Amino acid sequence: MNADRPANTRLAAPATARPARRRFVSAMATALAGGGAFFGPWATNRVWAQSAAPKPLVIGLTMDASGQYAASGGEERLGAMMAIKEFNDKGGVLGRPVEALHMDTETTPATGSRVAERMINRNEAAFLIGAVHSGVANAISQVAQKYGCIFLNTNSSSPTESGKDCHRTKFVWDGNGSNFAQAAVKNAVRSAGKDWVLLTNDYVWGHNTSKATRAILEASGGRVMEELLVPQNTRDFSAYLLKLQQIKPQAVATAIGGDDIKALRQQVVQLGLHKRAAWINNQQDWPDVYGLGPEQIFGVFGTTWYYRLDLPGVKEFVAAYQKQFPGMAIAVPGNVFHNGYMATRELLRCVQEAGTTNNLAVIRKLEGRRMTARDRLQHHDAWIDPATHQCQQTIYMATYNDAPAERTDIFRILTQSDPKEVMDADAPKACKLESFEATPSYER
Amino acid sequence: MNLVPHLFNGLTLGLLFALVALGFMLIVGVMETINLAHGALFALGMYAALVVMVPPLGAFPAWSAAYLALPVGTRYALALFLAPLLVGLFGLVLEACLRRTYGRDPLYGLLLTFGAALVIEEAIRLVWGSTEKQLPLPEAISGAMLLGDLIYSRYRLFACGFALLAIAALWVFLEKTPYGAIIKAGAHDSEMVRALGINLARLRSAVFALGVALAALAGVVMAPIWGIRPQVGVDAVVPAFLVIVLGGVGSLWGAVAAGLLVGMVVGLAGAFASEWSMLSMYLLFIAVVTFRARGLFGRKSVLDH
Repeated sequence: MNADRPANTRLAAPATARPARRRFVSAMATALAGGGAFFGPWATNRVWAQSAAPKPLVIGLTMDASGQYAASGGEERLGAMMAIKEFNDKGGVLGRPVEALHMDTETTPATGSRVAERMINRNEAAFLIGAVHSGVANAISQVAQKYGCIFLNTNSSSPTESGKDCHRTKFVWDGNGSNFAQAAVKNAVRSAGKDWVLLTNDYVWGHNTSKATRAILEASGGRVMEELLVPQNTRDFSAYLLKLQQIKPQAVATAIGGDDIKALRQQVVQLGLHKRAAWINNQQDWPDVYGLGPEQIFGVFGTTWYYRLDLPGVKEFVAAYQKQFPGMAIAVPGNVFHNGYMATRELLRCVQEAGTTNNLAVIRKLEGRRMTARDRLQHHDAWIDPATHQCQQTIYMATYNDAPAERTDIFRILTQSDPKEVMDADAPKACKLESFEATPSYER
Repeated sequence: MNLVPHLFNGLTLGLLFALVALGFMLIVGVMETINLAHGALFALGMYAALVVMVPPLGAFPAWSAAYLALPVGTRYALALFLAPLLVGLFGLVLEACLRRTYGRDPLYGLLLTFGAALVIEEAIRLVWGSTEKQLPLPEAISGAMLLGDLIYSRYRLFACGFALLAIAALWVFLEKTPYGAIIKAGAHDSEMVRALGINLARLRSAVFALGVALAALAGVVMAPIWGIRPQVGVDAVVPAFLVIVLGGVGSLWGAVAAGLLVGMVVGLAGAFASEWSMLSMYLLFIAVVTFRARGLFGRKSVLDH
């Protein structure tokens, strides 16, 4: 209220107020009617059709920002963002700017489904990218397949993702549990011994990864003394570690991910058990190990990339990360970022090559696509298996680096396996891709 | 399989669960407010301890070097004292916001503390980032030790000892000091306490701050076991809630007994049916509450007659 106006004073309307109000009201009604006709409710917003600016290509980033895989979700998002920025700096894709839209999938399958539905139906996302948790990836991919929307599963590595849960619209960019087990288990049986215990996260990735480990172990003459299932979000591993002391295995193979593996590593070191058995962690994501002390990075573990690989282009890639994301808590990129970046970049290249965002045309470009080792900053050429839609790539085994060149140089790469040597032989048998005819055509 | 190590482990786990639930129990029991920010404050305690242990004094290299030259044990002792104090002071601010909800539908308090939990967790993420952090530990309580033929973590034993100490101190405070008597009287009959000239608003502030400080203390103690990350509060608030309901709302010994029971069940399930270890505490909860709705040590409600 105006301070110098008495509170009980009613303002008298000026003589010209009524006609002015009428004019105002009729102008508003005209504007609303015109605006309504112009803006919709239409499936495609006409503003883009009638304006000079091209309609942005919306990419939905279905990545965890909370829950067990929040840290990895954040890293793969940065990877996708860097690839998108590179394309936008060069004028976008098909002359259209690329717009990233992120929603938190909360490391929860139900949220993944909801986010995917919303991004496709409400936000008109052309493609969906991102997943770490295999249950979330599976949930998103079911929604994506229903509409025909291409979904890139960037970092979830259950063998089922490119096996029984594969889809025509889904492409899997990470190495899977079977790839890592093949790279690790045979050597470990020779070096550590035959009596193993499996510590398995009690969900789809853990189960299928341990299944692959068990098969290779038994084929190599080893035996599983016991498999301990660890519920997700377990923070106290004392009971499991006591049991390990009683079983006395020669090797412990873990398929534990996210925050669970961080807690497990701390508690293993507190008990000194890392010195009493060989520890083989199927896959060690960079965000789950970054910041841990040297003692906690024990055992042998798999990865698909390391920031100090002595290969052309790696230093420039790391510099680009540091330039675009200065002052990040994770100062150098890791495997999760690398997968997020490579997946997004390859998708946008395919769209550009296809000359359209039509899903079926882009899928044809992705299927069987070959990528050189140099282009992907790895030791061996990679390709997308047309039968499973999984990217076959170099698999590295690593351990803690006790002679680091810098603070963040915590891995020592032990081996690099050619993708041909570690292919998941079961995936093509289990994967039944929907036909092109059964996949809805989708274009934004 | 030898059962004794698993029983011992269940006991230690139970003490830690009881410690995590203490602050929650105090606030619910005395103020009848369900503090859903308990977990976030637990996490904040971890980060406050980290700041005390390794202060971000990059702009003052001389001070930083002098402080970091102090023995880790000294800095850890400071963290055990200062982190709960700092978070307790923050609790006073939170209580000032909560004050407007007193006497209203309990949903208001729930929503406010739930919102506060989200804000605190996001603030932690913004300030410290989302990557894992570690609390440096003094040599004396690091590593493993042999108990018979059992290898056990020294720190875990220290944490259990500390939990026992915290439980005993809280009991002495509530049962043997005039302040404790006032707090209990305030919970029992606030009108009478006010009539006796005691400032009830200040009493509530103090209780809330104490509950928050206990949450932070539990965070400091649990940091080397669970690790430090922004979302760690979720891991604390669920068992804490379960323990206080199981023990009987507002009962200190109920919380302790429930903590021990939950620890024992989770520990034994982890050893003998590992996939049931997480679920076992909820099954225990359902079993107890089905037959004794007020929990193990809860007061009888008028509805029970």
